[in-house]
Amino acid sequence: MSDGEAVIEAEGLTKVYPAAFRLFGDGGREKLAVDNVTFNVRRGEIFGLLGPNGAGKTTTVKMLSTLLIPTSGTATVLGLDVVRDAGKLRSRINLVSGGERGLYFRLTGRQNLEFFSDMYHVPREEKRRRITKLLEIVGLTEAADVRVEEYSRGMKQRLHLARGLVNEPEVLFLDEPTLGLDPEISRETRALIRHLSEEGVTILLTTHYMFEADELCDRLAIISEGRIKALGSPYSMKEAVRNDSIIEVEARELGEAQRRELADLPGVSAVSVEHLEGRQRARIVVANAPALIPTVAAMLESRRVISIRVDQPTLEDAYIKLVNGR
Amino acid sequence: MMSVRAMKAALKQQAIHFFVDPQWVIPSIIAPFIFTTVTLFLFRHTGGDLMLYAVLGGGVLGMWGNTIHSSSWSIGYDRMNGTLEAIMVTPAPLSSVVFGRCLWNAFLGLLNALAVFLVAQFAFGIDVTVRDPLGFLVALAATLLSLAVLGMVFGAFYVVTRASSALFQMLEYPIYVLSGAMFPLVVLPEWSRPFSYALPATWGAEALKIASLSGYDPLGLGYMGALGLTALTTLVFLLVSLWLFSFLEGRAKVNGTLVRY
Repeated sequence: MSDGEAVIEAEGLTKVYPAAFRLFGDGGREKLAVDNVTFNVRRGEIFGLLGPNGAGKTTTVKMLSTLLIPTSGTATVLGLDVVRDAGKLRSRINLVSGGERGLYFRLTGRQNLEFFSDMYHVPREEKRRRITKLLEIVGLTEAADVRVEEYSRGMKQRLHLARGLVNEPEVLFLDEPTLGLDPEISRETRALIRHLSEEGVTILLTTHYMFEADELCDRLAIISEGRIKALGSPYSMKEAVRNDSIIEVEARELGEAQRRELADLPGVSAVSVEHLEGRQRARIVVANAPALIPTVAAMLESRRVISIRVDQPTLEDAYIKLVNGR
Repeated sequence: MMSVRAMKAALKQQAIHFFVDPQWVIPSIIAPFIFTTVTLFLFRHTGGDLMLYAVLGGGVLGMWGNTIHSSSWSIGYDRMNGTLEAIMVTPAPLSSVVFGRCLWNAFLGLLNALAVFLVAQFAFGIDVTVRDPLGFLVALAATLLSLAVLGMVFGAFYVVTRASSALFQMLEYPIYVLSGAMFPLVVLPEWSRPFSYALPATWGAEALKIASLSGYDPLGLGYMGALGLTALTTLVFLLVSLWLFSFLEGRAKVNGTLVRY
């Protein structure tokens, strides 16, 4: 992590999507997606925006990468205003979104990179050299002249990353870069992100994978319902639950009603329920786990409990506490 | 601001897409060919300049059909692919990308017009000798450029909404008539003429006909007059399209509609 200058500065950033116009039917209501968000990212840092779906992570990234105009607040990237200086800023940043879309499927990987290099006015003599190098970095040299429609999901994601690097950006925005990838490809992608950071690229990534944020990010902001709930290093986030302990319950009939009942118990600050195959796993963040176990056991007696144990808190528990906790 | 580099890259990209994606053969080659064949059958007993008029009309229809399908769909295709944001995050103006693609589509239109002439000459035995070949070629180039610019105007609407296709489907057939490609402008009702006169394709088609047909000049413009009006209306549409891109991009960034498909 670098202690250098702030290259991304968001101040009171807010985005309200207006109600959509529909000729027929209801266009819906306006939606507050990002609410008064303030943070900065230092040069060379990997900064994470962590939050559930619909939290406002992607909207924040799109405002910072000039694709959306904020409703209020200001943001600068590399000292340039994201609205006023968008034209100047674009040649120095890039955005990579996760998922299957965002590439020309009928073109080859190399043709995709050539097209986007031209969009960035990469000097012609440099273009060929850079594309060859990028294809090598992302492991697509062999498949460079194969149409993207024949790529696997992992190959597409690696091509996305190569596309995001054609202009050698100083700041790279990664929106859910490992979304839907298998574990091995995800690990390779994370290794590539770390490599880019070591090369001096400042990275702002969004994710809802706790371990990814923990593994990659120097600092992160937990965002929920458009607001930042906590900001700091993964270590400091875990500190938020340092004095807590966890009761982990596995049962066969745990539902939302039980989650609410557990959350209302005295001393409980957050409860998450994960649905596994044929069973559910509840993690209860609590000040004194041993003291509460009899109460929890009695409450869930009729819920076909498989096991109850005490565990150490993780970043995920901190996240649940910060997002859903009291 | 336009970027020549982005235009060239977009033109090349559109060309590659054309060759690897057979669906474009239908609006670009087959549909105009059918139009022309039908027109020639309708006019087959008239003979003389009227047949050439029909051939020219068929050529312009082909170019227009190509423009409306390929150029206006240009941004729709990016919406479908999810590449619109990937382009808009680059420094290249979107208008340059669309113009480059429209130029390729216009070039296809040129090939299409050539095919129409060959069919007329060899399949229907129509004498397609034009009066002023050089003037004809210049007018053809101007018409193609004007159609490319018109394609840009339509393309701009796709930036803000995917629903634009409904509007363009509606516009396709009226413009066949209003541009004078199907019928001479003088036989159209008075009220429709302002619409016809606002279209660059109208004046391009007039210049083509003046250069081709002996004694044709129903509006008394002369070749240079028709060509000048083609250039003027094309310039106006170019400025309108640039403004539209700027305005509609701004709206899409406020409303967050770039990724909806």
